[in-house]
Amino acid sequence: MEIKFESIEGRSAQYYQILAVLAVMALAGLTATWYASANGLWVTGMTNRVPWGLQIVMAVYYIGLSAGSLVISGLYGVFGKLEYKPFARLAVYLATLFLLAGLLSILTDQGRLDRVFVEPFVHFNLQSMFSINPILYNGHILICIIYLWALFNEKARLTKVIATLAFGWAFCVHTGTGAIFGFGARVLYESPLLPASFVAAAMASGTALMIVMIVTLFKITKRPVDDELVLWLGRFLAVCLLVVVYFLGVENAYRVYVVELRDAALYYLFGGFHSVLFWGGLVFVGCCVPLLILFNRTVGKSVPWVLFASVLVVFGVLCERYVIVLPGLTHPPDLFPGMEISGSGIEEGIASYSISSIEVVQALGVLGVIGFLFVWGLKTFKLLPTEARVLRRS
Amino acid sequence: MDRREFLRTGAGVLLTGASCAYAARLLTTSVGGTAKPPGTLSKRRWGMVVDLNKCLPGCTACLDACREENNVAHHGDSRWDSHWIRKAKLKKKHGGDAAEKPVILLCNHCDKPPCAQVCPVQATYKRDDGIVIIDHHRCIGCRYCVVACPYNARYFNFKETEEWPNKDHPKRSHGVAEGCTLCAHRLDRGGSPACVEACEKAGAGALVVGDLSDPESRISRLISSNPVKRIREDLGTEPKVYYIGL
Repeated sequence: MEIKFESIEGRSAQYYQILAVLAVMALAGLTATWYASANGLWVTGMTNRVPWGLQIVMAVYYIGLSAGSLVISGLYGVFGKLEYKPFARLAVYLATLFLLAGLLSILTDQGRLDRVFVEPFVHFNLQSMFSINPILYNGHILICIIYLWALFNEKARLTKVIATLAFGWAFCVHTGTGAIFGFGARVLYESPLLPASFVAAAMASGTALMIVMIVTLFKITKRPVDDELVLWLGRFLAVCLLVVVYFLGVENAYRVYVVELRDAALYYLFGGFHSVLFWGGLVFVGCCVPLLILFNRTVGKSVPWVLFASVLVVFGVLCERYVIVLPGLTHPPDLFPGMEISGSGIEEGIASYSISSIEVVQALGVLGVIGFLFVWGLKTFKLLPTEARVLRRS
Repeated sequence: MDRREFLRTGAGVLLTGASCAYAARLLTTSVGGTAKPPGTLSKRRWGMVVDLNKCLPGCTACLDACREENNVAHHGDSRWDSHWIRKAKLKKKHGGDAAEKPVILLCNHCDKPPCAQVCPVQATYKRDDGIVIIDHHRCIGCRYCVVACPYNARYFNFKETEEWPNKDHPKRSHGVAEGCTLCAHRLDRGGSPACVEACEKAGAGALVVGDLSDPESRISRLISSNPVKRIREDLGTEPKVYYIGL
């Protein structure tokens, strides 16, 4: 089957308006980053008790989305499912952009931007997850670029090789990212399950986002896509979600069961704003409702419903990233088990954190950069096929 | 073997060899001992004893001295203030009316420091004499060390500090992590940390710094002749601050 790829025309006023909005967002993000860098990161609302905030949440979220996108491209590249070839270019391009977004989010969060391009490469520390992960991230981007080149030039053999490498590499990227927290010293971080559950959530969110992108882009650009292709992705998403739910269940049951972790577990589950995000955003909106939709015999076979479920999963996993990063920081380290500490000069007990406007503008800025590159890429590269059809055996 | 094949094989062997050598160097590099600043007396292993029985109620001499000596950032807001040394009160969670007791908290200069392990640029390192220190000119401000320290002993300079009482010591700049250096600059010159000196001047003598590797040192004798505790020994970080009366 010959698949024809066509770039979009991109001559309408709307196209340029979208680009302009994204450019303004990027500039606003750049300004916010400059402001935070010049005045000190206290303007972001982060504190010595909560030294990581929204940018780290967004970084791990974007990195997760990147993995899922790559999984969709792997359906064709690795497993040879030819009917998913139409989505492969889009998937790899998105994977590259999301990884870039993750790196930009981390970059904008550093205290010394003037050193961040030199020191990590000169004074490398193989024992630090923050040293290992940039290798994985940069390698991931490089692999994605080669992968894209192979897809654009229809190099079937190279595609197979590089897709397999990218697939394996993506697992390492997300295991490594999960390990930043899972191998950490905080009660709510320390968990060997975390890297694995991170991979599962990454695959769910990436698949969900690909469904959203495929359905909306094909509709906007008036390109036909067979429902069956989207519905199969919906079933794949449902399986990923079940794995996410399983990991969530095991991890939290363990924390509640082990006496010394119980206080922290109860704080995690019922301790404040993050608990609302956990139960409301992740469990209910991000897992239960999508699973009910995707496993339903009627609505599970309806593209609009699968699209709706996918949007909920994309939101749910964003909540999941928040509850990975923040409660582990706001919960106090137990310096003296069985004792209460007071008057130490720093925030005691549960620390406070709320997302600041500077952080929001920074996050929107990163979104603006990759959004701009994406919209520009739709016109510059032949990312989308003229149609996507199920292959029928004659 | 033709010329092209020979060149290809040679390049492959060279590349593999160089990669292996580089990887081996990285893997065998100990984070704890990469940097050797001048003045380090490598045979020594500095540690501290805090005798809480001698700590005077209401006294903040050690805290004030540390701030003045090291220009530690103070903004009047607990969220962004740095505390290289701090004084807190401890009370049993289910102890009824049990009295509060004071405790002095500072960097434990761990033998296995998690802050050094996680630092992506080796800005945090353990000197040969056991002092865990930060190279402020290398730190990129990622704050992984602040997150990794189980003792809340790491701080990030969120703001530029206006105070600069000690002109012999650098003004603290924003964007980098920091913590107690055990006044390494004073120890290297044969002196004692500002907090220890101030505590002695205040008449308490609750803080003792010394060489843990010398069994005849005052600190070693204090440790061997008193019931001592270290904070969260179970974490395996091997802290070098010992407490009497905790």
